[in-house]
Amino acid sequence: MLLASVPAITFAQGFQVNLHGQKQIGMGHTGTGLLQDGASVLFNPGAVAMLPENYVQAGVSPLLFKSAFVPSGSNTQYDVANKVATPFTTYAVWGPKNSNFKFGMGVYTPFGGLTDWGNSWTGKYSLESLDLKAIYFQPTVSYKLTNRVSIGAGFVYNHASVNLKRAIPLSTSTSADGQAELDGGGHGFGWNAGVFVKASDKLTLGLNYRSQVNTTVKDGNAIFTVPSSVAANFPQPNTFTASIPLPSTTTLGIGFYPTNKWTVALDASYVNWDAYKELSFDYANNTATLQDTHSPRNYKNAVALRLGTEYKATNLLAVRLGGGYASTPVQDGYVTPEAPDANRVFFTAGLGYKAAKHLDLDLSFEYEDVLSRTQTNIESNLSGTFKTNVFIPGISLVYHW
Amino acid sequence: MKNFKSYTYILFAGLLAVASCKPEIVNKASFSAGSADFTRYISVGNSLTAGYADGGLYREGQLNSYPSIIAKQMAQVGGGAFTQPLFTEAQANGSGYLKLTGFDPATGSPITAPVTTGLAVTGQLTLPTSATTSVVVTTYTKYTGDNNNYGVPGIKLLQATTASYGNYNGYFDRLLTTSTPNNNVAYIDFVTAKPFTFFTDWLGNNDALGYATSGGAGDVLTDKATFTALYQATIAKLTATGAKGAVATIPDVTTIPYFTTVTYAAVLAGVKAKVPTITDLYIATPSEAIPVRKATASDLIVLTFPTSLMGSTTAGVGTYPYGLDPRNPIESKYVLDATEIANVKDYVTNYNNTIKTVAASKGLAVFDAFTFLTNVKANGLLVNGVSLNSGFISGGIFSLDGVHLTPRGYSVVANEFIKAINTTYGANVPLADVSAYSGVKFP
Repeated sequence: MLLASVPAITFAQGFQVNLHGQKQIGMGHTGTGLLQDGASVLFNPGAVAMLPENYVQAGVSPLLFKSAFVPSGSNTQYDVANKVATPFTTYAVWGPKNSNFKFGMGVYTPFGGLTDWGNSWTGKYSLESLDLKAIYFQPTVSYKLTNRVSIGAGFVYNHASVNLKRAIPLSTSTSADGQAELDGGGHGFGWNAGVFVKASDKLTLGLNYRSQVNTTVKDGNAIFTVPSSVAANFPQPNTFTASIPLPSTTTLGIGFYPTNKWTVALDASYVNWDAYKELSFDYANNTATLQDTHSPRNYKNAVALRLGTEYKATNLLAVRLGGGYASTPVQDGYVTPEAPDANRVFFTAGLGYKAAKHLDLDLSFEYEDVLSRTQTNIESNLSGTFKTNVFIPGISLVYHW
Repeated sequence: MKNFKSYTYILFAGLLAVASCKPEIVNKASFSAGSADFTRYISVGNSLTAGYADGGLYREGQLNSYPSIIAKQMAQVGGGAFTQPLFTEAQANGSGYLKLTGFDPATGSPITAPVTTGLAVTGQLTLPTSATTSVVVTTYTKYTGDNNNYGVPGIKLLQATTASYGNYNGYFDRLLTTSTPNNNVAYIDFVTAKPFTFFTDWLGNNDALGYATSGGAGDVLTDKATFTALYQATIAKLTATGAKGAVATIPDVTTIPYFTTVTYAAVLAGVKAKVPTITDLYIATPSEAIPVRKATASDLIVLTFPTSLMGSTTAGVGTYPYGLDPRNPIESKYVLDATEIANVKDYVTNYNNTIKTVAASKGLAVFDAFTFLTNVKANGLLVNGVSLNSGFISGGIFSLDGVHLTPRGYSVVANEFIKAINTTYGANVPLADVSAYSGVKFP
């Protein structure tokens, strides 16, 4: 017997996570054209050689993703469960005294998603939950060409993991849905390079390119739980292979210093999401029901504009504010519940406290307003309005010498 | 440090304040009953309205009837209580129904078994219908108490004004205070006895379906003029006290899996698998000129046709291989042949014109089930990531009898009614969640 073909499993977008350092978050995620701390390993390897000291630092930004959905014509709102994702950063920067070289290492989480809609919401056949993590490891070297110009580059290894669950519309005798779970890990490679220019005492500039990282999950577990009479349609055990291009990002950053206590920074980023044309799942064991899926994504390139400022209120205390706007790569018709994306505006604030001569304690807070978006998905016909608020407090410790 | 602390407090007080609010999307004020009044909604109709499914009427089907789904949504814009004539928990299996027990490993054909326990059947009564004929009426445990869902399996529009009809239909009998053979109230009088403010009316299906499902052999189509007169009369009665309502058209019978699952090609292929030299199937037709002919793909075979009969020399008139020899054709009751299809289509089109005309004259909402199910058959229906279609079992809409719907199918119908009501009455009744209702249950 032929069952209705299984709707394509999709996983998606907007899951770029820009939480790369508490000082930088406080200033609206700016930092490509600044010399703040070891986070330059990510923001601009070209700036690392110009950093005045050596650094070891770690930070975490617990992220609360509050998404809600109301189907078209309905008055029922579905909310994601309160789950906290934990993007983190660790950086180390070291250089020999009086050398033009500096070396760096970064471990950070530039992509990820944690969305749990539960197994009884209206879109359960599209998605119940997604837990996606990408951890980048980036050894870096930077060289000061002159007192005004430095360059740097890093190699990126991505360790990724994904767990995706959704319901299959095959009821058991107790009306419980079938379940599909895809669980796997994968990896990918890329690079990160930049140049940094000290134009004057009042102006610094940075240009950074973070390459696309094609990440492949190979032989992940494809676990299907369906009524026994139709189990032959979903052979077990089974595995899947999927690839996703994590896009390249080009950023131009400017630092401007009106006084010696006051910094203003601007970052403009261009994210090459259009590499993400389709998402395919290739199952090792296919049946007439369980076919490989090829879901069109057709992302478009996205931009982000970020503005931030820092004011050193006292010798010990810095106050930071920032904000910005990011356009969505997801075109109309392609919005899915994995990370219901839309254009977003964000506001950030931060505090830096010099806890000891060599130790900075930084706090950050960010609020993202992912704008409301009413959509009918071309693949699932899931039709309705998504709205997401994101709350991200954060803390880091930076030891420098 | 003091400054740092106070700044930190400000930062995190602000954080707590915003983090506690989740997005609010719903604009409650936009939902309303419009110019309709759902204080007492009643549903009028046949088995589809009663929640009949899987070849029977049983409690779970009743709980997922489209009127009960509509009523739940109406309740959110001021609709009143909606009580159904449910079978009790102890007799939850009502009339009995079919259950899917598995699939034939060789052919992949579904295997069903009747549920015969926990029934509400109280007995069988043989009633004369004329001097020489009689019918057997199965009776059920009486339902007493409030009722909003007047769906009576089997009823035709033709019978809705007949006072004695309750004697011949056990499902109607169980709603009445009197008992067969002493019932003496016409269906339309019974349903309108208590005041109501809103109704749905989906009568008329059986006036065509009875003929079709019996292969054109066991029943007759209700005369077109009679249908028109009765439709006008029943709608006049339903709207007499100012109630508003919604009606539905009659689906094309060829869009339901009862006629599209056991196909000519499948039966021929099944025979050929055993005897490769066979090239033709033979069917009995209603034509007096050509009582037997070769079947074609335009002839529809009913879902209940026992394919095991094919080639049997004891089935039918015997002696010759059943269905394979013109002297022992597939009986007419199993086949809706091309002529019969054209006949039933012509009547259904005429009935539907009547329904739409009468509805328009009274300003009623119309759910055009004919157009809707024709579209579903042609294109399928993709709802919330679930791909639904008119296929048997796999389609998700039709239950195991191939005529009636699954809970998911009934929720789709409920939403179509609601959309029609919203359009006609300037209302905004929220739609039901189709994902929350299940399709066919698999063992």
